[in-house]
Amino acid sequence: MKKLKDYLPWVCYFVFFLGILIVDPGTHYIHLVARVIIFSLYAVAFNLLYGTTGLVSFGHALFYGIGAYITGMLVKATGPEFFLLFIVLGAAGAALVSVFIGLLTLRLTGIYFTMLTLAFAQLAWGLTFKLYHFTGGDDGIQAIAKPAMLAGSVTKYYLFCFIVVTICMYILWRIRRSPFGSVLNCIRQNPQRITFLGLNVYKNQLKAFVISAFFTGVAGGLYAGLDGSIHPDMLHWPTSGNAILMATIGGMGTFFGPVVGAGILTGLETIVGKYTEYWSFSIGVVVLIVVLLFPRGVLGIKRLAGNKN
Amino acid sequence: MSVILEIKNIDKHFGGIHVANHVSISVKKGEMSAIIGPNGAGKTTFFNLITGFIPSDDGTVIYEDQDITSEKPEKIVKLGMVRAFQVSSLFLEETVFDNVYLAALSNFRKNAKIFADRMAFKDAREHAGFILDKIGLSHCKDLKASELSHGDTKILDIAIALTLNPKILLLDEPTAGMAPDERIKMMHLLKELHEYFQLTTIFIEHDMDIVFGIAEIIRVLVQGQLIAEGPPDYIRQHETVIEAYLGKEVL
Repeated sequence: MKKLKDYLPWVCYFVFFLGILIVDPGTHYIHLVARVIIFSLYAVAFNLLYGTTGLVSFGHALFYGIGAYITGMLVKATGPEFFLLFIVLGAAGAALVSVFIGLLTLRLTGIYFTMLTLAFAQLAWGLTFKLYHFTGGDDGIQAIAKPAMLAGSVTKYYLFCFIVVTICMYILWRIRRSPFGSVLNCIRQNPQRITFLGLNVYKNQLKAFVISAFFTGVAGGLYAGLDGSIHPDMLHWPTSGNAILMATIGGMGTFFGPVVGAGILTGLETIVGKYTEYWSFSIGVVVLIVVLLFPRGVLGIKRLAGNKN
Repeated sequence: MSVILEIKNIDKHFGGIHVANHVSISVKKGEMSAIIGPNGAGKTTFFNLITGFIPSDDGTVIYEDQDITSEKPEKIVKLGMVRAFQVSSLFLEETVFDNVYLAALSNFRKNAKIFADRMAFKDAREHAGFILDKIGLSHCKDLKASELSHGDTKILDIAIALTLNPKILLLDEPTAGMAPDERIKMMHLLKELHEYFQLTTIFIEHDMDIVFGIAEIIRVLVQGQLIAEGPPDYIRQHETVIEAYLGKEVL
């Protein structure tokens, strides 16, 4: 019975993200769901740090941006044949950078950690603006080609994203349920006790930081292929903030909560964005409702109800 | 009996306060000893110093002929010197079993496994179950740690420490905040565990019935200084101790 409950979110995940192909509501919506699934990976990867380990990084835009820029620049430099490889390289680049940033920032705790991650990301954002010849400055990089196999229709690229994201999600899911995942979850609850279990808090946090950055980089790389264009805004702080919003709205204490959060955030942007440019106002309202009424996030409601019974 | 822990001249200042004043202690293997002293005497600080949680200004700590003075706390735990806390230090969202199980994973060095299911380790599962049985918490193993009574949180804290297979067990006020009958139970439990696991136990305690009931050696700390050390009968009649801490009417 418990087993079944564990797999139910996976069933929902497959039904929704594959069902959309069967329903086939048109390119516009497939494109929208492609964004949802890419943001889902971003939010879930971020939540390994945020909801599980208890570290609020406000600099994940940096890793998202690195993934996107490395992928985009490699495609521009060589061609789109090895698109998947470039995504992996982009993620590896994000992970590499995260090692250095993690080594520096994780020595600090709480708000100091958060502010320092923000500072690094803003620094990188500033650099992408200034290094015009290297990054394209505020024009970003346009016309990033996709390999012949994925080019043509958005459905093909969506399917590609679905496969890559699902593999990454599965890996992250396994990590969350592993002994290492338990250690991370307990670091959030009581780091002092972790030390006196004979475990090194800092090292485990660093591992989580790097893993999180890697998969965030994958999400960034996938996004580079979606529209074929990237811009410095991907490294700007609202991108980092979106990760926090998605995880918080969906439920940071659950694995799939951030996926729901990604759906809500993207949905609001599209639906409300049709009527007004002040669509972010609606996000504020949703966050207010969630934080006041369901502090555990949308997926957390079920859990709360389950506990009462 | 051989010496398992040798503390030489350990010294620590917090600003102008001398919290550990050249304390030297040598603990024999298998000894059950108590540290007593008034509040603020530096008892918990002493634990923090020897477990590597805060660095000492001076002095050395030798554990099993190995200098561990500047080792990290997690390394010292792995070597076999483990502590339980004055205010129970638990993972409150986890079940009682999972609290102990995580310690078991650490004990069997399975904590870094990244793709295996966390429950897949039979040795750790059995060890956790065994410890809970031994300490008498099996009946509430599926409760969350936050749902336990105060007394049981103290016992769970000790269970976590025991799961790590300690040679030396440091207990910081194991009966703090307990009702009198719970204290007596705890006293018997400590003695039983000490013998069963062949531990070297050092405990900080304010309840003199327990201290004089089970400690073989009592050490008295006052203002960071070790003012007396010896078996209960010796401490009971030690004039400085009576003056500084016990008071005349108590015993």
